[in-house]
Amino acid sequence: MSSPSSLIATNVNLKIGQQQILSDVCLNLGAGKVMGVLGPNGAGKTSLLKMLSGQLASHHSVSWNNKTLTDYDPMSLAKQIAVVNQLNESVFALDLYQIVRMGLLPHKSLLSRQTLEDDKSISDAISRVGLDNKIQQSFNSLSGGEQQRGLIARALVQKAALIILDEPVNHLDIYYQHQVLKLLRSLAHKLNITVVMSLHDLNLAANYCDHLCLLDAGTMVAQGPPEHVLTSQRLEQVFKIPCHIRHDDNNAAFRVDFYPPDEVEIDVVSSIANPRT
Amino acid sequence: MGALFFGAADLSSPELIQCITQGCQDPVNNMIFWEIRAPRVFVGFLVGAGLAVAGATLQNITRNGLADPYLFGVVSGAGLGASIATLLFDSKLAEQIGLMQMFPNISFSLALPFAAFLGALFSVFLVQLLASKTLGSKTEHMLLAGIAVSFMLSALSHFLLFLGEPFAANKVIFWLMGSLARVETWYAWVMLPVVVVSVAILLLYGRHMDALLLGDENAKTLGVQVTRLRVLSLAICAALTACIVSYCGGIGFVGLMIPHIVRSWLGVTSRIVTIGCVLLGGCFMVWVDVLARVALPNQEIPIGIITSAIGSVFFLIVMSQRRS
Repeated sequence: MSSPSSLIATNVNLKIGQQQILSDVCLNLGAGKVMGVLGPNGAGKTSLLKMLSGQLASHHSVSWNNKTLTDYDPMSLAKQIAVVNQLNESVFALDLYQIVRMGLLPHKSLLSRQTLEDDKSISDAISRVGLDNKIQQSFNSLSGGEQQRGLIARALVQKAALIILDEPVNHLDIYYQHQVLKLLRSLAHKLNITVVMSLHDLNLAANYCDHLCLLDAGTMVAQGPPEHVLTSQRLEQVFKIPCHIRHDDNNAAFRVDFYPPDEVEIDVVSSIANPRT
Repeated sequence: MGALFFGAADLSSPELIQCITQGCQDPVNNMIFWEIRAPRVFVGFLVGAGLAVAGATLQNITRNGLADPYLFGVVSGAGLGASIATLLFDSKLAEQIGLMQMFPNISFSLALPFAAFLGALFSVFLVQLLASKTLGSKTEHMLLAGIAVSFMLSALSHFLLFLGEPFAANKVIFWLMGSLARVETWYAWVMLPVVVVSVAILLLYGRHMDALLLGDENAKTLGVQVTRLRVLSLAICAALTACIVSYCGGIGFVGLMIPHIVRSWLGVTSRIVTIGCVLLGGCFMVWVDVLARVALPNQEIPIGIITSAIGSVFFLIVMSQRRS
């Protein structure tokens, strides 16, 4: 028996044309956990997130809260699952408040009006992501990190128990990468929200996620706690680059160092320049 | 209200005020005011409001500030439908195929907008089909398809008029430039419910339309049924454009220009833009019509000439402001 508010995927398959994008992917994630989906380009990360969020038909293979996604109508699904896709610029100059307010949509009928309670939930969400002073600012003029936090605030107004994010720290500088991931982790642990996101940086994934799943060519190579998934042998096999994993003294955090192919090329160049060394 | 004071007939202000409050004493003035001037102002308001709302809706669903019923082919589709209806009802063809026997109670005044609506729906369907099958599903492709369909259907309706009408040039000018000169009171009673129902539906779906502004995927994740909303919006645009075009011809630039002004003055969310377009589009058209009536003594300028002239200057100003 699965616990309530758990995300379960059973043998998720996706084929587009002749190409098998995902093959028999299975996972089980409890409430309040942060899961990182890892893998090289084309491994099927975005496709898996779309299956988990119901954006791609999953044919009864994905369930949330003991109910398959296909059994939810679009509005009830939006009440349960919020999606933060890679950033889209708004053509017309919507401000941050208007973007965050969109989170009310699944909870409102066509005739219902915005209440004082709704106003409060919007301003609370904006405060929680630390953007109080940007509330009237045009969304397009915000920095990448601020836009990402704005969309997370929208997910909070949506009151979703599961937030799915596609590469939320892409294009962000190191400061905003940590800020956004810290925010997501604190939301998960304090508000019992389940967070699923795709990430490219293995070190960030290791330090901010409770659970990782590593995909390669559409299949699940490994899943579990970071220290279990991130082994040098497995990463070398998936990313095709030699790597070394360093643990800190008390084993609480660790670092993955890759040896990029560039270094090999540099060696070749220096050996040509100094043939005797 | 102010626009009621302008016109070819010389009605003094006290007479007009009396006409509004107690009814005109002079029967000629009464006719001029209640059967010519007032309906024209009212219909002008509905035409401006309808075109501006249709333009704003097309811009929202395509996320492209250049979309308008003209560029999207909806005006030409409605024009084609109306041309076919005009030819069928006017010509001996109607008698030959027994149209009147088949539909004895059909009224030309209602058949015209209905045929225009079918024409507009046809153009919308054609644009969607071309955009999705030939070019791809991106919204910019819909605009390209719209321009192609617009020219194709205009050519077809002008050709039909050329073949079927002895005075085709007049009709073609009417479809190209539009006019409020032949407005009658009952036009308003056809247009009013279409405009009111369309605006009401757009206001109800305001939140859903806003969600579309950040993209289809974004709207879907918020629970919006995007295809259904887009079809509904296109049908609304077709209905609005059809009832306007069938009575008043093709009037350009209003659907493009007014939503831009409303967005820069009032805001970009759909409900505000819709209400702003009704008010500003309506007032704009009423005053453009006043200009059309009084600019040249004893003759009227086709209204489309003035809207196109103002529209082109407006866009040059917008472009120069953006550059600076």
